Amino acid sequence: MLGTANATAEPLELALYARDAGVAEGHAVAVCWPATGAQLAAAVRVARAHGRPFVVRGSGTGLAGGATPLGDPVVIVTTRLDRILEVDARSRVAWVEPGVLNLDLSRAVRHLGLHYAPDPSSQQACTIGGNVGTNAGGPHCLAYGVTSAHVLAVEVVLPDGEVALLGGLAPDEPGYDLRGCFVGSEGTMGAATRIAVRLTPDPPEVATMLCAFASVEDAAATVSETIASGVLPAALEMMDAPITRAVEDFVGAGYPRDAQAVLLVEVDGLPAGVAEQAAQVEAIARAHGATAVRTAADEAERALLWKGRKSAFGAIARIAPDYYLHDAVVPRTRLVEVLGEIARIAAAHRLLVMNVFHAGDGNLHPLIVFDGREPGTWQRVRAAGTAILEACLDAGGVLTGEHGVGVEKRDLMPRLFGPDDLDAQARLRDAFDPDGAANPMKVLPRGSRCGELQRVPEGTWI
Amino acid sequence: MSGPLRLDPDGLVACVACGLCLPHCPTYRVTGREIASPRGRIAAMRAVEAGAAPADDAFVRAIDECIQCRGCEAACPSGVPFGHLVEATRAALGPVGPWWRRAAEAVALRLLAPRHTLLVAATWVLLAAQRLRLVPARLGLPRLRAASLRPLDLPAGGSPDAWLFPGCVMDAWMRDTHRAAARVIRATGAVVARPGAGADCCGALHLHTGRIALARRLAARVVRSMPGDAPVVVDSAGCGAVMKDYGRLLGTPEAGAFAARVHDFSEWLATRPPPPVARTGRTVVVQDPCHLRHVQRAHGAVRSVLRDAYEIVETDDDGLCCGAGGLYAATRPALASAVRDRKVAAIGRAAPGAVVASANPGCTMHLRAAGLDVRHPAELLAEVLDG
Repeated sequence: MLGTANATAEPLELALYARDAGVAEGHAVAVCWPATGAQLAAAVRVARAHGRPFVVRGSGTGLAGGATPLGDPVVIVTTRLDRILEVDARSRVAWVEPGVLNLDLSRAVRHLGLHYAPDPSSQQACTIGGNVGTNAGGPHCLAYGVTSAHVLAVEVVLPDGEVALLGGLAPDEPGYDLRGCFVGSEGTMGAATRIAVRLTPDPPEVATMLCAFASVEDAAATVSETIASGVLPAALEMMDAPITRAVEDFVGAGYPRDAQAVLLVEVDGLPAGVAEQAAQVEAIARAHGATAVRTAADEAERALLWKGRKSAFGAIARIAPDYYLHDAVVPRTRLVEVLGEIARIAAAHRLLVMNVFHAGDGNLHPLIVFDGREPGTWQRVRAAGTAILEACLDAGGVLTGEHGVGVEKRDLMPRLFGPDDLDAQARLRDAFDPDGAANPMKVLPRGSRCGELQRVPEGTWI
Repeated sequence: MSGPLRLDPDGLVACVACGLCLPHCPTYRVTGREIASPRGRIAAMRAVEAGAAPADDAFVRAIDECIQCRGCEAACPSGVPFGHLVEATRAALGPVGPWWRRAAEAVALRLLAPRHTLLVAATWVLLAAQRLRLVPARLGLPRLRAASLRPLDLPAGGSPDAWLFPGCVMDAWMRDTHRAAARVIRATGAVVARPGAGADCCGALHLHTGRIALARRLAARVVRSMPGDAPVVVDSAGCGAVMKDYGRLLGTPEAGAFAARVHDFSEWLATRPPPPVARTGRTVVVQDPCHLRHVQRAHGAVRSVLRDAYEIVETDDDGLCCGAGGLYAATRPALASAVRDRKVAAIGRAAPGAVVASANPGCTMHLRAAGLDVRHPAELLAEVLDG
């Protein structure tokens, strides 16, 4: 059905699908590139008929190893399923295939005054299907909500090859919210073949501000005070000094090289409200010792400021060749304390850590940069990473804000959930995938089900 | 780490596999495959360099399928020098492809390009063959014109205000563009000349197919052919990009000083008092040649110089490659035309039926073969010069 040109077991190509943008490596036994939903369903059925699990992936920009092929699966790539099937501007709904790139969708509806609101930093490269899998966030999810709030319905190929439609276009579909289960299931409940997404009207007015601070504490206090004041910025991002300099080297957007912390604040809405909110944010920032507040003069300057923020992870290679990026959420009120603890952990492990994150919702992204060619570095990086996540959990946080659990955080799940919670989640997963064929060994650690042993094959290095 | 490909290890490890390059890669866009992407190609180079994978047919194909548009470099936050990595890999692999392709490349690059008189003679033969209908249309060659092949009305050598670099294919097949460029340059009040002996070919095609030694010899001759400190104006984006990189290619201070004098035609013109032009109100869609946009990063100038005479319309594809890629359109026709389909669609969305401005001969020929009306910015300006 796929044709020999669209499936391969050629060793070099398989090797290139051994990982995503994270660090975990696995091994695929075959890779295929379906171009239609029917072909994707056929690929699932063929994998199952040969006793193989399957892993569906889009662009492979995920950072938690969610698309790492474990258990010798068939990897099904959605990049050729890249059609925008239907745009209904009046209802503000679009039906898209899973391989459509996030930014391509927004571009395609720009002339209608609409956009797709969730905007992960990788939005130019990541797919809507992948966004659904991880329930992706992004800077603008502070005000607009994460992916789940923008997905109305998903047509899925269930792990047994059957096709089902979850959710619908009505505001409150009858029955259980299976769509809600599927969004964020990281490929463990099947594969999306068509997705109905909500389109958001472009705000009539936008103000993007860059605030510089002499200390992280001042910036964090500004964040807390802004939210407490009742202003809900469309985005509220923080970057520390090292990452600000790395980004400035790449984009030259005029980020202040001497600031200890930088806030990127965006407010949007009707012109009068925007001006008032921008003034309010500026007053709060200055009251907390902001050394400079700059508002983007035009769309080009605004785009450049955002390009800097969204290129931050890649730009660190200018400092060291490897990075390990974490994703955790802490209560906003404890930001300063947790950032201090992260700095202490990094120092104790003789590592450099940088911070660039969604401050408005307390979604931290501690970024450890290092040179993996130095012996022993990886062990220190892993140990520091675990310590950082535990510190976030101890502060009342959660394991992931938007990247997903994947394989990276799977074994930390028991730190957040008790045996009963894990068992309930495992049984929900089993309802979709009783044989554990869809993206095995992800999300839930072994032993999640009461009294069961891991049933997926062993022997994969991760 | 230095393995069989002898690549710069720091350049190779700079990739953090973030994937931000993917949408900017034309071959990834049309195939959706990792192996046809910059990230995949780098991972493959690393595997071969580390001895973890052989430099087998699959690897050669992965490298050969790269158009070397370098759109990934402009998008890469980590600053991976992808173009140089691919050039070095091509050099380590040597000539690739079926025998007929290696033979054709050898004739074109080793025999004709370094000897301009011979190339022009061959062009007359090709023109005759076209008139006799002996050249199949599927080769996508431009229709040659005897009038265009008239000698250029430009002094050779001397000490002009600006040199106009003629190049190899461009001067044989598209000499009218040089005429237009010379007219516009003169309209700014500058005295323009063509180089003396030695400026047969800039070496770009050689560099991109891994023939680095020959590229260096050609580059050294080009440097000697335009002495003094007058700017070197280049109306082919592909040539200009490599000439600006002569400092690295040759590794001498003279080459570095020469490279600093190289300007794209529009880039140079934008620094001059604007020549008087008539405002036409006609729509022009700007197609950015990759080596002007991603490598020279001088594409803004095309807009500045055309703005007074034309209504400029942009495409919505972030400067994605058109698929021409020097010899690529001839050696990889299927992929090249799949990539071109996207560009033609983007131009159609921008302004259906409009004239397209392109500052590179490869792109021009490739897009003309798809039926578009493509002109060099110099031609568009020469047309509307007052007086």
